[in-house]
Parts: sequence; structure tokens; C-alpha cells
Amino acid sequence: MTALPITRLSMREAVSRRLVVVGLAISAAFLVLFALGFGALYSRVATEDDLTELAFAASMITVLGLYIVRFLAALLAIFLSSSAVATEIDSGVLHAVLARPLSRTSWLGQRWLAFVLVTVGYVSLMTVAVIAIANGIAEYAPLDPWRAIVVIALELAVLLSLGLLTSTTWSAVTSGVVTFSLFGVAWLAGIIELIGDQLRNETMQLIGIGTSLVMPSDALWRGASFYLQSPSVLVATRAAGGGNPFAGSAPPTTSLIAWSVAYATCLLAIAAWRLRRRDI
Amino acid sequence: MRSGGSPMASADAAITARGLHKRYGRHVALASLDLVVEPGQVVGLLGPNGAGKTTTVKILTGLVRPTGGTAELFGVPVADPPARSRLGYLPEHFRFPEWLTGLELLRFHARLAGRDPRRDADWLHELLALVGLDGRGDERIRGYSKGMTQRLGLAQALVGAPDLVLLDEPTSAMDPLGRREIRELIRTLARDGVAVLLNSHLLSEVELVCDHVVVIDRGTVLRSGTLDEVRSASLEVRIELERVDQRARDLVAGYGRIIATDDHEILLGTDDPDVVPRLAADLVQSGARVRALVPLRRSLEDAFVGLVRKEES
Repeated sequence: MTALPITRLSMREAVSRRLVVVGLAISAAFLVLFALGFGALYSRVATEDDLTELAFAASMITVLGLYIVRFLAALLAIFLSSSAVATEIDSGVLHAVLARPLSRTSWLGQRWLAFVLVTVGYVSLMTVAVIAIANGIAEYAPLDPWRAIVVIALELAVLLSLGLLTSTTWSAVTSGVVTFSLFGVAWLAGIIELIGDQLRNETMQLIGIGTSLVMPSDALWRGASFYLQSPSVLVATRAAGGGNPFAGSAPPTTSLIAWSVAYATCLLAIAAWRLRRRDI
Repeated sequence: MRSGGSPMASADAAITARGLHKRYGRHVALASLDLVVEPGQVVGLLGPNGAGKTTTVKILTGLVRPTGGTAELFGVPVADPPARSRLGYLPEHFRFPEWLTGLELLRFHARLAGRDPRRDADWLHELLALVGLDGRGDERIRGYSKGMTQRLGLAQALVGAPDLVLLDEPTSAMDPLGRREIRELIRTLARDGVAVLLNSHLLSEVELVCDHVVVIDRGTVLRSGTLDEVRSASLEVRIELERVDQRARDLVAGYGRIIATDDHEILLGTDDPDVVPRLAADLVQSGARVRALVPLRRSLEDAFVGLVRKEES
């Protein structure tokens, strides 16, 4: 197979990095810890014999576990993409590659695809593992985990596009810090929006929505987390008009999905445009 | 190879560059550079540091966008990726992914060059042997010495069986034996009709392997032509007379600049390689008793230093 040589090399590169190996080891440890913690907590709640509370506890713990999985995947995406362009140019890795009959847009697109495959692969594996553990211990059945994975994949694609764009101009550290800061700001804005919803404060809601436009990562996570909760818990949460900083109580809106797709595509297109104009 | 003025490229010229201009902010790296390289030619690109050699090579590989002028490889503008399908390039400063083995790197570049590395397995091994890395292809690049990495870089440049090879300081990390092998390799390429543009600080190396030379400084071509043409570009002629008087000195000065003189000898510097017979005739006619008139064969280094110094003054 001679197709997508840059994608293949980038995937091997991502996997060959020590940090990724360490990340996988930490993830394996996390799964063990999750299984132990889930088992202990669940058995304690189970003695209380309240079915609603049982379901709520299982849902909460699972979503929290997956929140951490998604956070690790976001970190991986930021780490991979922020060192993907400028650092490669400065170190001289790209000279021989870009002198080949290969357009820079294709190079960037293939690299983006590799990182999407690696990070989404990681999220899929870990999500399936976490849910399998929860299902094994508490027969936990989320609404639609595959849909959740698709939405998280979109969040990762957004982060990867932003990371690649910033790394066409800045060093790995600057690009990583900028991308991670935006990711953090989106998280904070998500909490502000949540509180705004509960207090019915319009300004706070607007801050949240505005920030989701600049960086839709947290809005996407909250949308994805809807599908990771069990239907009975969702009904209860929505009836209470609640929600929490780690999980949303509504599915992602079509406009959010459309905006995120357009956002990731535009950032990637701008990154390709910048790279095409850059002297190497 | 033709260069300077307005070069006329044949339809299948490997490189045709016209009026190349590159500005980095206020700094002008290339003022107006013309260059034509034909298939089978080995052309040395010479110039002091900062003359614009690497910028030229990078424009020709599509890595740097010129701010003016045009550059084509085999008639296709360098900005189009297909222009680079017949190109092999060894960059000056490069690094390969260290976690790959030498053979894996070649396979990767073979794919990028549009070849099928599985069908080309024999060719890749042959290539490793050609650059002196026989049996080392399965080792990780991390363990390669500088010289070995440069050899691998050369194999990488040749992996697509290119018709044009751009080598930017290809032997800077090699020992004398390695340099000799690379020279042989370049000669073999030229015999097969491959055009080679060699960018090197080692003038002796250029002298040994190139048939054409382009000397550039401050982004323009100072002189270009065959090795002999460039070497004789700033000729020195030793004139031995029975007695050097003012009349003889004035006469000689009309042919160039007098570098040194004493009672019996004048050392003349000139740009005109055909000066000797005319000077001989004039001197004899003026009544001077000429004992010897010796055009001094100069090394490329002498010619290079002469050209660049003249430009600076």
C-alpha cells in the first residue's frame, strides 16, 4: 500500500513516542483504579437499597471516568499537534519531505488524519473499556456510547486543527500553551454557562455561548456526555433542571455540530494556507 | 550550462531560473539570478557565506517562494508538486526521524517519490550499497554517525531515480575516503544523463567533480561557464623582460592591472584569457626584450577569491 505515506509515518511516530507509551501505561492503571473504585463505591451505595441512587451513582462515576479519558485524549491531541509543524521545520525533518512531489496541504491533511486516528482510537478503546467495566459491575447501560464517541472525535478534531494552526507559526511550547489555554477557558466558560442556566442569568449564559463559538470543545463534551448517561438518570436530572460541570443534560444541538465541523475545517484550511506561504 | 544575461534554455533543461529574487524583510538574499542546467551537467554553485547559494537551492526545491522571477524544473514551475517528481534533494541541514531504520526511511521516501517500495526492495539495497551503507539498513538512524547519516541522505536523494539532483554540502561530514566515493557517484550519475547541482564550500572538491561552475555573491551571478572558463576568468600573466622601464609598465597596464613589478618582471592581472598573444606582439613592437610571457594556471580557489574580492572592491 502506497497511499497516505505521511499518515502512516505520523501514526508510527505518535505511537513510538515515549510519552504515548507512558500515557498508555497510565491509562491501563487508570482502568484498574476505575474498576476498583467503581466496585467499592457501588457496593457501598448498593447496600442502601435505593435503585434511583444506585443508577445515579453508576452514571456519575462512569461519566467522571470518561471525563478523565476525554481529558487525557485532549492532552494527547494538543501534545501531538502543537509540535507537528514549526518544530519539524526548525529541526530540518521537513526539508527532504516537502521537496518531494507532495503538496503541503496534502502533507498537513495526512498528518491531521493520523492524529485524529490515534486520538479517536485511544478514546474509543478507553470508552469501551470503561463502559464494559461499569456494565460488568453494575449492569450500567448508557444511552448511546457510539454517538458520544463521534462527538468526542469532533472535539478532538477541533483541538487538532487548532494545534496544527498554532504550530505553523509558533514553537511546540507556545503552540501547546495557547491551545491548552483555550481548552481551559472553554471549560471555565462551560461552568459559567451552567451556573447561568441555573440562575437564569443571561449575561453568564451569553459568556458561555460566546466562548463555545471561539472554542467549542467543552460544549461538545457536554453534548457527548449526554449520551454516556443512563436514560433514567437523564430523566431525573432534566426534571430537576440540573446538570453539573462534568456532564450535560441535553444532546449536542445540530448548530453546535455544524459550527464545530466548520470551525475545524476552517482552522485546518487556514493552517494549510499559512504553511503553503511559509518559507522552509 | 549557461548563466548570466538572459539564458536560453532548451526545452528539456533540468533547471531554468530567470531573474530570481528573494527578499527576507529588508535583506535581499537574491538580487537577480539566472541559471540554466542541462541534463548530464555537473554544476558547482560557489559563493562566500551569505551569497545566496542555499536560498537558490531552496527556491529550486519549492521550499522557499521567490519574491520575483521564475524557476522551472524540466519546464514545470517549481511551485507545482509534479515539478519535483524528477528531483532528488539532499538538504544542507537535515534530520531524519531517528526511530526509523535506514531502510525504512528509504521506503518512506520511495513512496513519496511515487515508487512501490515492495517492488523496489532490490533497488533500495543496491542504493544502500552504492552510498557505502551495505548491511547497515536495518539499524536505527539514532545509532548512525554523522557521516553515515549524510550517506543515507544521499541515498534518500537518489531513491526516486531522479533526473536532477541538488546536493547542498553533501560531504561536509565525510572523511576523505567518503568524499572520494561521493565524487565517483556524482560522475556516474552525470554519465547516466542526470543533472547535478552541487553546492559546496570545498572548492577543491568542486574542481574535481564539476564540469561547470557558477560563482555567485550578494545574490547575483559573478561568473559562470566551464571550469576552465571560470578559472581563467581572472588570469595572471608573468612577464619577464630584460629590463622593466616606465614605457613597458605603461604598455602592460593597458592590458589590465599590475599586481607586482620589479626590475625584470611584471605580474599582470587581467580578465581576458586572449591577452597573451596581443601583449607579446605589442611588447616586441615597442622594442622591449621579452624573455618570457607565462600565463599562470590558477586554481579555482584563486579564481574564486579574485572574483569575490574584485566584486567587494
